[in-house]
Amino acid sequence: MPTASTSFFGWVAFLLQKYGTLFLRGTGMTLLIALTGTVLGFLIGLLVAIVRTIAMPRSRDPRRQSRAERVSLAVRRTLLRAVQILMNVYIQVFRGTPMIVQAVVIYYGAQYAGIYMDTTFAAIFIISINTGAYMAEIIRGGIVSVDKGQFEAAHAIGMTHWQTMTTVVLPQAIRNILPSVGNEFIVNIKDSSVLNVISVSELFFQAKSAAGAYYRYFEVYFIIACIYLVLTLSVSRILAWVERKMDGPDNYVIHGSQSDSRAEIVVSVENEKEATKSWKA
Amino acid sequence: MEGVIEIRGLHKAFGSHEVLRGVDFTANEGEATCIIGSSGSGKSTLLRCINLLETPDAGQILYHGEDILSGHVNMAQYHARVGMVFQQFNLFGNMDVLGNCVAGQMKVLHRSREESEENARKYLRKVGMEAYVSAKPRQLSGGQKQRVAIARALAMDPEVILFDEPTSALDPEMVGEVLLVMQDLAREGMTMLVVTHEMGFARAVASKVVFMDQGVICEQGSPAQVLEHPETERLRAFLQSRF
Repeated sequence: MPTASTSFFGWVAFLLQKYGTLFLRGTGMTLLIALTGTVLGFLIGLLVAIVRTIAMPRSRDPRRQSRAERVSLAVRRTLLRAVQILMNVYIQVFRGTPMIVQAVVIYYGAQYAGIYMDTTFAAIFIISINTGAYMAEIIRGGIVSVDKGQFEAAHAIGMTHWQTMTTVVLPQAIRNILPSVGNEFIVNIKDSSVLNVISVSELFFQAKSAAGAYYRYFEVYFIIACIYLVLTLSVSRILAWVERKMDGPDNYVIHGSQSDSRAEIVVSVENEKEATKSWKA
Repeated sequence: MEGVIEIRGLHKAFGSHEVLRGVDFTANEGEATCIIGSSGSGKSTLLRCINLLETPDAGQILYHGEDILSGHVNMAQYHARVGMVFQQFNLFGNMDVLGNCVAGQMKVLHRSREESEENARKYLRKVGMEAYVSAKPRQLSGGQKQRVAIARALAMDPEVILFDEPTSALDPEMVGEVLLVMQDLAREGMTMLVVTHEMGFARAVASKVVFMDQGVICEQGSPAQVLEHPETERLRAFLQSRF
């Protein structure tokens, strides 16, 4: 038991020993809700972004349309419009209010309606829909950034909107937005701390209880600041590695050459004009 | 000779700007047709309408006598039968050379991977790019990209290929390699519609030359007839500006 003369490091050591497991469990919970929330939020964002980029069904030459065609077109346009407005409202509401407020409103609002959510479930639910609103805009930006020629080439080959999206556009869009997605994950690791308002047992919540026990606020929050930093730094490193992996090698192999069909030439390309060739035997 | 694609009274406006003002035109089987004309004459828009990248405002586009705007033609199948090669190549950036030539076959024609790859290699060999199957588009030169784009179109085993200024974005020393590939295709009897500024190519390869001006077809006929003996003042002025 430390005394009044115990140093800062003495307290840190003592608290780590006493609450180490608690902090570890909190860290696990923080990672769980941040990771699940980011993944689910990404999927929500993907869906919203794809729907928001569907072009309005166009009418063909009206003189040659049958009545049934005109009605079906009107119905499809109205439906799509309604869904798109709904999604727009969702994005504006969840980007326009603080997550800490969303947490309280959703958690206690649900109780008002007779639904008592498990706090972990509530945490993942809130982070997911909050992240989804941001991701929808990030992914839409990614889709818009893909060259129009890619859509045209895919359509010209006969692909549907869905096939174009899944095989050509989204793989490129996702690669382009990976830094922003990683950013969202890091934000979620830190911002999940606000969920302590609905008593989710994440890292900040555990720290609050530990700090209260001995009134050692600075020491406890110093410890969890270090934990948060280690988490976010590790995640950035992992994401940088994933990005490099996705880009693939800068080299490619030419199979056979004009003079020797069994030869393989490895070409490393910095710039297509400055391709340097080296024999590989 | 049968008309594969027949266009009747095609109109297209962007806002208040009328780009196509009643185009009538037939592409016959086995013919290479070159469409020439100055910038803004509607050549590219005509091609893009045929491939439905733009929706025409009025008129008919008949494919083997069937109106593709009527809603009764399967669009995926139509697109598979009518290939397109773009000025900016538009190779799929997330796939390697082989993947570019395989994706459409598997997704649209539902061919097996083995069959698609075999077919893709056949056409990549034809355009002299078989050695580069594992290269990404960003690692290739412009001429190489365009040859892959031609192989990608061929791999769908199309009946017609539309070329939208295929050499306009290329460095001068790469134009030849692409034109040679196209010349081979024309000699083999592929039905081609080529929007081009390469008068030499039109003269040597085309079975028919079409001159467009201000959204209408101004003159058409054999290369000798159109390029050597222009009838209208506008075509004479255009040809003079080229030499």
